[in-house]
Amino acid sequence: MKSETVISIDNVSKKFKIYKDKPLTMKEKLLRLRSNDYEDFKAVDKISLSIYKGETISLIGHNGCGKSTLLKLITKILYPDDGAIKVSGRISSLIELGAGFHPDFTGRENIYTNASIFGLSKKEIDNKLDEIIAFSELGHFIDNPVRTYSSGMYMRLAFSVAINVDPEILIIDEILSVGDENFQKKCFEKIDKFKKNGATIVIVTHDLGTVEKISDRVIWMNAGKIVEEGKADQVLNSYKQHMNGKFVEQKQIEYETLIDSEKEGVTSFHEAAVHSGDGNNWGSKEVLITDVRILNKNGTKTNAVIAQENMIIEIDYAIDKPQKEYIFGIGFYNSDLSLIYGNNTEIDKIKLEDLERNGTLQFHVPSLNLLSGLYKLNVAVVDETHRALDFYKYYMDFTVVSTDKSIGSFSIQHSWTIKNEGAK
Amino acid sequence: MKGMLVERIREIFDYRQMLVSIVRKDLRSRYKGSFLGFLWTFVNPVLQLTIYSIVFPFLLRNNQENYPMFLFVALLPWIFFTTSLQGATTSVVANANLVKKIYFPRVILPLSVVCTNLVNYIYGLIIVFPALLFTGVSLTFNVLWLPVILFIEFVFALGLALILSALYVRFRDLEHVMNILTMIWFYLTPIVFAISIFPESVAEIIGYNPMVPIINGFRDVLLYGNAPNWNELLYSMIVAIMTVVIGFVVFEKNEKTFAEDL
Repeated sequence: MKSETVISIDNVSKKFKIYKDKPLTMKEKLLRLRSNDYEDFKAVDKISLSIYKGETISLIGHNGCGKSTLLKLITKILYPDDGAIKVSGRISSLIELGAGFHPDFTGRENIYTNASIFGLSKKEIDNKLDEIIAFSELGHFIDNPVRTYSSGMYMRLAFSVAINVDPEILIIDEILSVGDENFQKKCFEKIDKFKKNGATIVIVTHDLGTVEKISDRVIWMNAGKIVEEGKADQVLNSYKQHMNGKFVEQKQIEYETLIDSEKEGVTSFHEAAVHSGDGNNWGSKEVLITDVRILNKNGTKTNAVIAQENMIIEIDYAIDKPQKEYIFGIGFYNSDLSLIYGNNTEIDKIKLEDLERNGTLQFHVPSLNLLSGLYKLNVAVVDETHRALDFYKYYMDFTVVSTDKSIGSFSIQHSWTIKNEGAK
Repeated sequence: MKGMLVERIREIFDYRQMLVSIVRKDLRSRYKGSFLGFLWTFVNPVLQLTIYSIVFPFLLRNNQENYPMFLFVALLPWIFFTTSLQGATTSVVANANLVKKIYFPRVILPLSVVCTNLVNYIYGLIIVFPALLFTGVSLTFNVLWLPVILFIEFVFALGLALILSALYVRFRDLEHVMNILTMIWFYLTPIVFAISIFPESVAEIIGYNPMVPIINGFRDVLLYGNAPNWNELLYSMIVAIMTVVIGFVVFEKNEKTFAEDL
């Protein structure tokens, strides 16, 4: 049932002038002083989109991707530079709550002011008044001045007005964090009721849980353009993957700065932790672990990796006094400091006997199946009697990001089926 | 274009409750928490009146008959006019929070300021009439023209209010410029004196000031019991209508970027 289009956005662009310093005075205007001192910023770049009656649409994307600008264009707060937007039906936006509230007036009086800003007539407000007051749970406080309200009461009243305006199109921008859990539940129930009554809802939020729960269609924006649109789980999945990638990239940058500062001789955490003799490093030192690196799928040194991708742990060693046999091992600890995985060359039946004096050992993981979280890495080399030669507990921390939302430490391949005994 | 105008006016009509709410809020909150409260609506003009009626006869050595009332019936509409302009100039900027967050016909903002001051003027009449009777002025049926004159002044004030509020968003000097201009305008309008104190040639030029027929009109219907000078008032009315049309056009042109310029 593809019903009528209520919001049609046709090739819309909006750019802002970002002034280095906003010129305001007439002298500056007339003399055109500093008038070239701005940059154009394309907040919305040639977007076309149709929103149908009764749909619930979520706009997602990281900060500054243009989703709030798009909302403001829909609500006619901003006007496009190019293209056209057509909206049919009354819009209520839950963008500004408590618009026009006056602290000295009572809650009841402020309901009238606030609702009138949404374009309601006195009669319409009269009819909704009881419903609004009941929804706000303010009871007899409704006749006290708003300045005496707690911030929670204030928001509840504001939200009650906005949501009881009974719009045909409801615009929500990141405000479902109002009130306590019960009130939130009520808000969601109200939104559900809207949906059932055929209202169209457009939501901007970073709360992906909400997005997944209520939207029929998700639109992912980046740099003013639509990256992907479609069913919630499908778009969310690629969005999360993208965000994980971004996160790891960011981590990588931080990590590289950290390494740089180490090179300049600044003592970092990790160095301090490793060399301060805090009991996390011991052994006879007849064989030394000189460096340990985690490499991502591109072979770059890192401390953040994406799950299901290739990872390599490299251990550099230097032999001071040759041993009969060497056993190298690694271990992963979770943030609770419990060992979740450990392995060594002996377990894997690899006999290391005659090694070069200096060398590197690699531990390959073709597809890392750890879940999202912070982990600690142990590395060690022991002799054939398991006497510690060089043992590092918590050598370094590393972060894993995964799209798997399971709980615990590992992703396990699985599927669910229902086996119906009675049918046999 | 014509269809759009009708649509704009219908939209303002749809938002009439917002206008009413804002006006009521402004009137009520103006003196909220002060000891005299609503009485200040009267105290202010009365004080101004007292000062002017002591100072100006002394300075100007005029022997205007019933000078306090001569001044009063002109001063109140002037106060309506200037407070409207001053308030309206900053009205869009002062409500930046609303403008940036919610859609509504932006015209409501300057319009509500002018309306608030209009209502304030009407409250002022509560003391104008007793004062007139008390000082021995006899009212005639020509008082019934008062709403017409008031309406012309309202339209003129609204036109200027629209222009000023729209331009102020980008030219913040305008507030100070307006303060100076209204001060000059005050002395180019026969409020504290009759226009007859000027030499003929100057009076003729000052006659182009559209506020002159309006102020004279107030005096005619309230103080002298005459019908207003319709020829002169027609001029003011034409200027007022032109101003309000220009005002709407200027406002319309600027309002689309209000949310970004604020």
